Amino acid sequence: MKLIKILILSLFVFIQAKADTIYNLIKIPNLEIYEINTSNKLRYLYAKQPFTIGIDNNINCYNSEKKRLDKKYKIIQKNLNKYDQVFLKKINLKYIVLCEKLSISGILTAGIPDHKMKTLIIDIKFDSKYFERVLHHEVFHIINDGYKDYFDEKEWSKLNDDNFKYTACSTCSNKTGLYVYKEFNGFFTEYSKSTASEDMAEVYSHIISDKDNVELKINNDPILKKKVEFIKENILKIDKNFKF
Amino acid sequence: MIKKIKASLSEKITFIFLLSLGIFSLTSFLLIKDKCLFVKDYNPLKITFDNPKNIAILNVPCGNVIIELYPNVSPNAVERFKTLIKSKAYDDVAFHRVIKDTLVQAGDLEFGKKGNLNYGKIGTGKSGLGNINSEVDVPFNFKKGSVALARTQKYNTEDSQFFIILRDEPLYETEYTPIGKVIYGLEALKKIKYLDKSQYVLRPDYINTLRMLIN
Repeated sequence: MKLIKILILSLFVFIQAKADTIYNLIKIPNLEIYEINTSNKLRYLYAKQPFTIGIDNNINCYNSEKKRLDKKYKIIQKNLNKYDQVFLKKINLKYIVLCEKLSISGILTAGIPDHKMKTLIIDIKFDSKYFERVLHHEVFHIINDGYKDYFDEKEWSKLNDDNFKYTACSTCSNKTGLYVYKEFNGFFTEYSKSTASEDMAEVYSHIISDKDNVELKINNDPILKKKVEFIKENILKIDKNFKF
Repeated sequence: MIKKIKASLSEKITFIFLLSLGIFSLTSFLLIKDKCLFVKDYNPLKITFDNPKNIAILNVPCGNVIIELYPNVSPNAVERFKTLIKSKAYDDVAFHRVIKDTLVQAGDLEFGKKGNLNYGKIGTGKSGLGNINSEVDVPFNFKKGSVALARTQKYNTEDSQFFIILRDEPLYETEYTPIGKVIYGLEALKKIKYLDKSQYVLRPDYINTLRMLIN
């Protein structure tokens, strides 16, 4: 038994401490490069093995099979190619991490943005019906984290009816539906009603992913119209050449 | 009366064998101990350079490392590097962060000086000249031998610390400010002392001198 212990210990002593460049850059382990030669300089990474990060290791994500990765990459790249290198630099987004069954504190989530580390983790297995729009929703959170002054939540809340109140956090209620309302009444989706920042992200994601229809949709909804104008105005403050 | 005993042939062979073994072991020990034995030392005076004004000579325990600086890629960073070289600020400064076959990092002028090494703070020291802005917009291929300024997690925190990569690192493009490339002597950097279990080196190797070829 002693001999086995010594053998195991000596294994740790003699194993070489390897350099993990990706970990050093964005503090997420078990990642590999998927594609880095992109027109807008986004770097796509994928989970080679499951990883756990965050405070109390509360963020988990799993590796995917190559087939799914290849399929979803095309969709993700098509959508994120809408952002040019200049804009991405301004909003501080550089790394896209592809994995599946992404969860935070046990709650499944579509994406986790980290403005500080220039990283967006995406669950490539997320509901395909909303997948493309959700990508832009998460990009907005990166934008919002870098430009809090532009996207003032109090100012935004004033655009709603006086008697409406958001909940304390995005998971503090059951308002998590992403289906688009037929009658908007100031909100595109049920999830919009959770918090001001989620509402902003929902409006932004509709502007980007459904730009041809969004103007028509908001014509009879003065609140939503103001919200769309608010988002557009402030995005243009960040990059006057931004194309919606 | 003591009778002389003549060694037999087999005893003579055994003696010669043991003697040879002893000499071989001693020589091997001395050779293996010299980590620089097979490292070529380059003499910059015997090399013709296209742009000698941008050539820096980093002298390390195993010889000269010749670096070509790229002021057209990162003018401010190269200027800072040259300023510190000209004031001999890098002399006797530790290679405090070394990852085998990956990178060597030096240039902590505050906590990395020989005789004044502060293991608790090494890697956080400053030059006293202040931070400079990152210069990461010009496309740069981070191939083996590339030299770049180190920074904290935030951009625009470059100062005096620099690193040299010993393998290709394509992800470093737009992350770090490149200042040049090793054109001769990369092998000498591979012999810089490293630890197996930590990137930060106890009793590290030092830069002997760092000079511009033409002052």
